[in-house]
Amino acid sequence: MQWITIFKKEILEDWRNYKWIWVPLVFIVICIMDPISTYYLPQILESVGGMPEGTVLEPPEVVPSQAIMMSLTELSMLGVLVIVAISMSVIAGERKSGVAELILVKPVSYFTYISAKWAEKLLLVFTSYLIGMLASWYYVDLLFGQITAGQFFSLFFFYLIWLIFVISLTIFYNTIVKVPGLVLTLTVVTIMAMSAINQIFSYRMPWFPNSISGHITKMLMENSVPNALWGAVSITIILSVGLLIASNFILKTKEMAD
Amino acid sequence: MGEILNSLPIVAPLILVQFLLMIIALISLIKAEQTNGPKAMWAVIVIFIGFIGPILFFIIGRRQY
Repeated sequence: MQWITIFKKEILEDWRNYKWIWVPLVFIVICIMDPISTYYLPQILESVGGMPEGTVLEPPEVVPSQAIMMSLTELSMLGVLVIVAISMSVIAGERKSGVAELILVKPVSYFTYISAKWAEKLLLVFTSYLIGMLASWYYVDLLFGQITAGQFFSLFFFYLIWLIFVISLTIFYNTIVKVPGLVLTLTVVTIMAMSAINQIFSYRMPWFPNSISGHITKMLMENSVPNALWGAVSITIILSVGLLIASNFILKTKEMAD
Repeated sequence: MGEILNSLPIVAPLILVQFLLMIIALISLIKAEQTNGPKAMWAVIVIFIGFIGPILFFIIGRRQY
């Protein structure tokens, strides 16, 4: 199967450039950094000094669900940036260097090419994200209190949909421009613009993709899945599929034009 | 001092992971045939800018093609 061949080639490539090692490690640090530093905030402030005499340092009141949301907040900034950075040259780089032409003159369909690459990046991100969040779960449980398995896995899977969207968006820009740095810029600008739109119109568009993490916070507090979350997740999945189909179409017309 | 010892089992894994990241970045740096910019500069960045340094090297420093 061609699909499997391209998929395996991608895994091998990411193994050789160490992505399968460093991305999971980076995700662990991203996920556990904030819960740990919040827990030790009083000690850190004390050792830094500069506090007036007699200041009583109360440990911050953080409930477990808030603590695990800190991991998601960090992931939506640093984590997303890392995801975009590791996938910015997945197709753009190969088109620039001419490897894409070498592959696509063979009877390999554009969709096989795009979807195999998309799936490999997804597997890498999924693995890293799973390891990172399991580490975060362990620490939150240890330092702040209990998060049930049900809470954890629903949080995990709903946020995963957002990460899938980020990968699809990066792949989409990969087919539009050939310069990896430009792919990164365009993707990050798009996500930032979407986040601004989400903040302005959050009441009118509760199903906007960027609102997923907000709905997850609500879900953890109320212990039930809000309807808006289902809506946002469905829209995000549809958008991701749409982006992949559009990438297929764009790559096809672009390659023919060359 | 007691507090530091108590927090060691909690903080140690975080430090260990960051250390591992640095070592892998250094191995990759040594094995790389070419990097974007001098290798010595990347060695300094990887070692002294904890956590962000190795990420920068993996993303920008390694020449992919």
